[in-house]
Amino acid sequence: MIPELGHVALIVALQLALAQGILGLAGASRAHGGWMAMARGAVVGQLLLVLAGFLALIWSFLVNDFSVMNVADHSSRQLPIEYRFSAAWGSHEGSFLLWTTLMAGWTLAVVLFSRRLPADLVARVVGVMGLLSFCFLAYLLFTSNPFMRLHPPPANGRDLNPLLQDPGMIFHPPLLYMGYVGFSVAFAFAIAALISGRLDAVWARWVRPWTLVAWSFLTLGIMIGSWWAYYELGWGGWWFWDPSENASLMPWLAGTALVHSLVVTERRGALKVWTVFLSLGAFSLSLVGTFLVRSGVLSSVHAFAQDPLRGLFILIFLAIVIGGSLALFARRASVVKAAGEGGATPGDFQPVSRETAILTGNVLLLVALATVLLGTLYPLVLDAFDLGKVSVGPPYFNAVFVPLMVPVLLLLGVAPRLRWRETRMADVVRALRWPALAALLVAGLLPFAFGAFKWQASLGLGLGAWMILATLGGLVARAREAGFLSLSAIGMGFAHAGLAVGVVGIGLVSAYQSESTVSMRQGDRASLGGYEFIFEGATEVPASNYSAMRGTLQLRRDGKAMATLLPEKRMYRTTRTTMTEAAIRYGFLGDVYVALGEPLPGGAWSVQLYIKPFVGWLWAGALFMFVGGWLAALGLRRQGEMKA
Amino acid sequence: MNLWLGVGALISVALIFLLVPLWRNRLAPRIAVSSVAAGEEAGSMPDPGLARAGRRWMTLALLGVMPALTAGLYLYLGAPTILQEQALTQAHAAYDTDAMVKALEGKLKAKPDDAEGWYALGRAYIALQRLDEAELALAKAARLAPKEARMLSQQAEAIALKAGGLDGRPMALVAQALELDYEDEKALELAGLAAYQQKKWAESLHFWRRLMKKLPKNSEFYEEIARAVKIAEGKAMEASGLGERARLAPPEKSQTPH
Repeated sequence: MIPELGHVALIVALQLALAQGILGLAGASRAHGGWMAMARGAVVGQLLLVLAGFLALIWSFLVNDFSVMNVADHSSRQLPIEYRFSAAWGSHEGSFLLWTTLMAGWTLAVVLFSRRLPADLVARVVGVMGLLSFCFLAYLLFTSNPFMRLHPPPANGRDLNPLLQDPGMIFHPPLLYMGYVGFSVAFAFAIAALISGRLDAVWARWVRPWTLVAWSFLTLGIMIGSWWAYYELGWGGWWFWDPSENASLMPWLAGTALVHSLVVTERRGALKVWTVFLSLGAFSLSLVGTFLVRSGVLSSVHAFAQDPLRGLFILIFLAIVIGGSLALFARRASVVKAAGEGGATPGDFQPVSRETAILTGNVLLLVALATVLLGTLYPLVLDAFDLGKVSVGPPYFNAVFVPLMVPVLLLLGVAPRLRWRETRMADVVRALRWPALAALLVAGLLPFAFGAFKWQASLGLGLGAWMILATLGGLVARAREAGFLSLSAIGMGFAHAGLAVGVVGIGLVSAYQSESTVSMRQGDRASLGGYEFIFEGATEVPASNYSAMRGTLQLRRDGKAMATLLPEKRMYRTTRTTMTEAAIRYGFLGDVYVALGEPLPGGAWSVQLYIKPFVGWLWAGALFMFVGGWLAALGLRRQGEMKA
Repeated sequence: MNLWLGVGALISVALIFLLVPLWRNRLAPRIAVSSVAAGEEAGSMPDPGLARAGRRWMTLALLGVMPALTAGLYLYLGAPTILQEQALTQAHAAYDTDAMVKALEGKLKAKPDDAEGWYALGRAYIALQRLDEAELALAKAARLAPKEARMLSQQAEAIALKAGGLDGRPMALVAQALELDYEDEKALELAGLAAYQQKKWAESLHFWRRLMKKLPKNSEFYEEIARAVKIAEGKAMEASGLGERARLAPPEKSQTPH
C-alpha cells in the first residue's frame, strides 16, 4: 500500500512539475499574475508529493518490504537499520529520487527567500526549475522506477553493496547532490536573464548567495567522499583521479570560477556574458557528472546500451539542457551584454586590476577543467567506438592539473590586494613583498624540519604560507581602510585559508607518507616512522550480515603505549565479498593507518602499515571552505537586506 | 484504506496548491515586471471578466485532466493489482505454514520417532526463523536417522545459523554427511561456503561446481551458486598472483554495480 501511494505521489508530482514549468514561464512572459501564483503553489505541492514518494521508499526499506524490487535488490533482513535507511539512495533509482527531492527543496527555498525579487523573474526561475524537475521525474518513472514490484516477494533481499555499508554513504550523496542541485538555481537564473534580457549587478547580487551555498555543499560532499575513500578502501589513498571523482571535481571547478566571476559582475557590472556562461556550465557539468556516475557508463561503456531506453533518455535530456541553454545563450548573449550598459562604462578595466586577476584565475580554472574533462571522457569515447582501451590515470592528471593550479593559487593571494579597475604595479609589489618573502623562506627552509627536503612539501608549504599571509594581509588592509570587515570578506578569508590548509596537507602527505607491508604473528613487532606496532593476534567477530577477522595491534611511540588499533577483514555473507576495514589513529600531525591483509600460513597475517603525516589537514581545509562559503552567503544576504 | 482513496487525496493536494493561488490572486496582476517597457505592461492589463472566464476554464481543465492522467499513468506504470494478490498469498501463506507446523507438531507428539517428520518440521522452523526449535527438531531427526546425509547437513545448517558461523560442530556434521553421501546438496553448499570463508578457494570451487551439476539450471539456487563460483574463481586467480594489481586498483567508490 505505502509503496503504491509513493508511486502515485511521484506521478502526481510529475504533472505538478510540468504545470510549474509551463505556468511559470508562460505566466512571466504574459505578465499573468494568476499563472505565476499557480507556479509558486505548484512548488510547494511538488515538494510535498516528492517527499511523500521518497519517504515511502525509505519506509519500504525500513520494514524490509521485499515486494519492492529496489528493496529486494539493495537490502536484506540482516542489514543494520541505519544502512537500510541510507540504502534508499544507494541504488540508481533511489539516488535519482534523492536528487528530485532535493531539487524540489531548493525550488521552495528560492520561492521563500526571493520575496523581494520581481515576480516575473521568480516565475521564470521557478519555471525553468520545474521543467528540470519534470525531466528528472519522467526519467525516474519511465526508466528507473524505484517502485517496481515483485510478486511473490523473495524471502530475503540481496543485501547492499558492502562498500556502501558505511556512514559515508549516509552523508556523502545527499551533500554532493545538494551542491549539484544547488547549481540549478544559478542555471535557472541565467536562463531567466537570457529570456528577459535583463542582467545587471542586482541580478548578480541575487545569484551569488545561492551559488555560494551550493558550492559549499559540493565542497563538503567531495570532502566526505574523499575521506570515505581514505578509510574505507584500505590503503590510505584520498584521491584517485577516478572518473566518478572527476565527475564531481568538474562542476566544482566551474562553480569555483562562477563564484568569483559573480563578484566581478556584481561589483563592476563586467564579465556578464562570461558569468552567464559559467552558470549554465556549472549545472550542465553537474548533470554530466551525475549521469556519468549513475548510468553505468563508467563500469563499462557498453552497460549503457544494456538499457537502451535509459541511455537514450539521458542523451536526449543532456542535449536539451546543454544544447538548448547554449542555443539560447548564443541568441541572447548580445542582448544581455547590451542591457544596463551605458552610464559609467562598466566592464572597463586595466591589465593590473582585480578584474584581470579574477578573470585570469577563471580561465586557468576552466583550462584545468578541460584537462580533467578530456582525461575522463577520452577513454570512454575510444571505448564506445571500439577504438581500443586506454587508461588515463594519476600520472596524466598530476602532470597536467597541478601545474595549472599553481598559478591559480598564486593569484588567489594577489587578487584581494588589487583594486577594482586599476592598480599601480608598485603598490601591488609593496603590499605583497613581505608575504612573498615569507612564503619563499617557508618553502626553502621548513621542509628540513620534517627531515629531508622534498619538492612536494616545499611547494605545498610555500603556497600555503603565501595564500594565508597574502589573504590575511588583504583582510587587514581592507579592515583598516573601511573601518570594519564585512561577513562576506571574513567568509572569503575562511575559504582561502581553508584552501591553504588543504594544500599544505596535500604537500606534506605526498612528500612524507611512508608504508610497509609486514607479515606478523602473535607477539611480533614492527616499526615504521618512529612508531612501534605489536601484533596481538586476530580473532573472529561475528556481526549481523558479515563475520570479521579482527586484528589487535598495540601502537607505541618511544616505549609509551599510544593506542590499540583494531583493523578488520570482513566477509559479507549474502554478497560474498570481503572488505578491509582499516584502523586509524587520527592526529593533528598525521594519521597512523593499519589494514589487515591476507592470512598467511602458520597463523601469521600480512599487515599493511601506513604513516600519513598531516593528511587530516586536507579535509580540515575543505571544512574551512564550507564554513567560508556559508559565511559569505549569509553576509551577502544581510547586505542585500540592508540595501533593499 | 482503499488505494484509490489515497490516490484521490494525493491528487487533491496537488489541485489545492494550484487552484487556491489561482483564485486568491487578485484580478489585476500586481507585479513589478522588470524589463518590459511600462507602456507595454499597461496594454496587457487583462479584462476582469475575461480573466474570470480564463480561471474557470483552467480549473475545469485541471479537474478533468489531472485525475485522468494520474489514473492512466498509474495503471500503465504501477502494479494496481498487487494489493489483492498480496492479500491472497499472505492469507494463504500464513495459513499454510502455520497450519502445517501445527499439524506436524501434533503428529510428532503422537508419533515421535518419525525422522522425516522432524526433518520437515525443522526446515519449516528455519523458514520461520525459529532457530532454537529448528535445532532441536533437526537434532531429533538426525538421531533417528543417523545414516541420512541430508538430516545431518540440515542440522549443521540450523546450528550454524544460530551460532552465526560454520566452525566446529556444523563442519563436523557436514563432513559426516559428505562421507555418507558425496552428492548431498546441503552438505556440498555448506562445505563450499566453509572453504570459501577460510579462503581455500580451490576447495570451495570443488564443492560448489559439484553442487551446480546437481541443481536444475535456471533455478534461483543454481544462479546463486553460479554467482558464488564466479567470485571464488576471481579470488583463486587473485590468490595465485594474477589479480594482485586488480586488488590494488581503486574500486569505483560512489557507484553501485548493476
